[in-house]
Amino acid sequence: MSDSTETDENNKYNPGENQDDLILQQHRKIEKEISESIALIGNKEALSSLESEYSDDDIYRQKVQDLSNKYKSVRRTRPDGNCFFRAFAFAYLESLLDNQQEFAKFKDTKNCSIRGGVNLGFPQFTLEDFHDTFMEVVNVVGNGPSACDELYKLFNNSGYSDYVVVYLRLIASGQLQKEAEFYQNFIEGCRSVLDFCHQEVEPMFKESDHIHIIALSSALNVGVRVRYMDRGDSSEVIAHDFPEGSKVAVHLLYRPGHYDILYPSTS
Amino acid sequence: MAQQPTGSAVRALALEYKSLQEEPVEGFRVKLAREDNLFEWEVAIFGPPETLYQGGYFKAHMKFPPDYPYSPPSIRFLTKVWHPNVYENGDLCISILHPPVDDPQSGELPCERWNPTQNVRTILLSVISLLNEPNTFSPANVDASVMYRRWKDSKGKDKEYENIIRRQVSGGRAEAEKDGVVIPMTLEDYCIKTKVRAPEAALDMTDFYVDDYDLEDDDLEMSGDDEYDDGDDSGNGES
Repeated sequence: MSDSTETDENNKYNPGENQDDLILQQHRKIEKEISESIALIGNKEALSSLESEYSDDDIYRQKVQDLSNKYKSVRRTRPDGNCFFRAFAFAYLESLLDNQQEFAKFKDTKNCSIRGGVNLGFPQFTLEDFHDTFMEVVNVVGNGPSACDELYKLFNNSGYSDYVVVYLRLIASGQLQKEAEFYQNFIEGCRSVLDFCHQEVEPMFKESDHIHIIALSSALNVGVRVRYMDRGDSSEVIAHDFPEGSKVAVHLLYRPGHYDILYPSTS
Repeated sequence: MAQQPTGSAVRALALEYKSLQEEPVEGFRVKLAREDNLFEWEVAIFGPPETLYQGGYFKAHMKFPPDYPYSPPSIRFLTKVWHPNVYENGDLCISILHPPVDDPQSGELPCERWNPTQNVRTILLSVISLLNEPNTFSPANVDASVMYRRWKDSKGKDKEYENIIRRQVSGGRAEAEKDGVVIPMTLEDYCIKTKVRAPEAALDMTDFYVDDYDLEDDDLEMSGDDEYDDGDDSGNGES
């Protein structure tokens, strides 16, 4: 869907119609169906609730079994392409509710991040708005464990929740650009890190890959453990920690194309 | 995402509209097409001085999607505009209003594409610079594009393009008079309402680190002749 093709088509065949718009319209319809059926951030459910999804699938059943030895509950997120960022933000802020010391440290990190963002040339006016809204949500954590409901509500209010996602995307993009030389190795094809950021990191609803996770977890210095549940041979659900060797604060479950939040049994 | 406008859209548009009313930006003015609808704006774009468009007054309609700022708005000129990147019906084709795609063929820099930190200000500044520097790689109006290249290649000797633009510009003047709008003609008039553009980024960054940013702004407003002060923000160090 290159610009030139689109223009040519418009000119030759369909002067009144914009193909981009038509495709967008169709996307919106699908997104609408998803948004009406699945909450941005769901309720905490027992891990066994995963079993019902795989009643006739031995490989997955085994894996759910393995997971249930390590995790006690799961929180589903809406599969809208933002699930990694949203799951990460909610899981981490939720974990800070009863860890105010860590919370104070985290607030400091972010102040650095927005400066990084400004230096990377995002328009200041909008960047500030995203930052301020993000901080509004973050500051709720300062009210301690009793603020859990409030946090949950904000994350299900798209006005706040999506701004948090945008801001984290900008932080991830900033980190990728700052360490462009390093991250270039992870980008396939001939795209530059900058192109990659513009195309895959900054736009909403773009799905996240390892590289997004590494960038965000490094930028914020928050350890993420992702459990990969796929049709692979092993009966164990393999874990990857980002950044490698970090202290894990956020546990996520990955099933092809989607991230949900996990809660370990031990805590 | 859905048909219903998201909370983000209303919030972002209200904030941008307010800010553009309080601190207009060089080269354009905005107002709501209808008082009760934040999603449709009327825009007046002034032609930049020292270009073919000097003294021009172009009216356009800006329409925002329900999931703004995650998707870009669209712009349609209401004034007739003969330009390589404007369709017959007035629709403007500019890269900043398109989502980024992985497309090495497009001939556009990806940094010009839409992302959620883009806003009316950045869009309209791009539009103003596109007026004078058409993108002939993906023309919306092929005839205008060919004519523009001929004008450009002949270093202005082939005046067909120039003449059409000048005719449209002078047509705009009558329109402006009817609307009671004064068109800025000189560079000074054009830029006077706002900060000088080139150092803006640097100034903003400095401002950003200064904790009394708001205070400083208030001072400017109270001084009464902010139109002149704004041009040299960095010199105002009283606060």
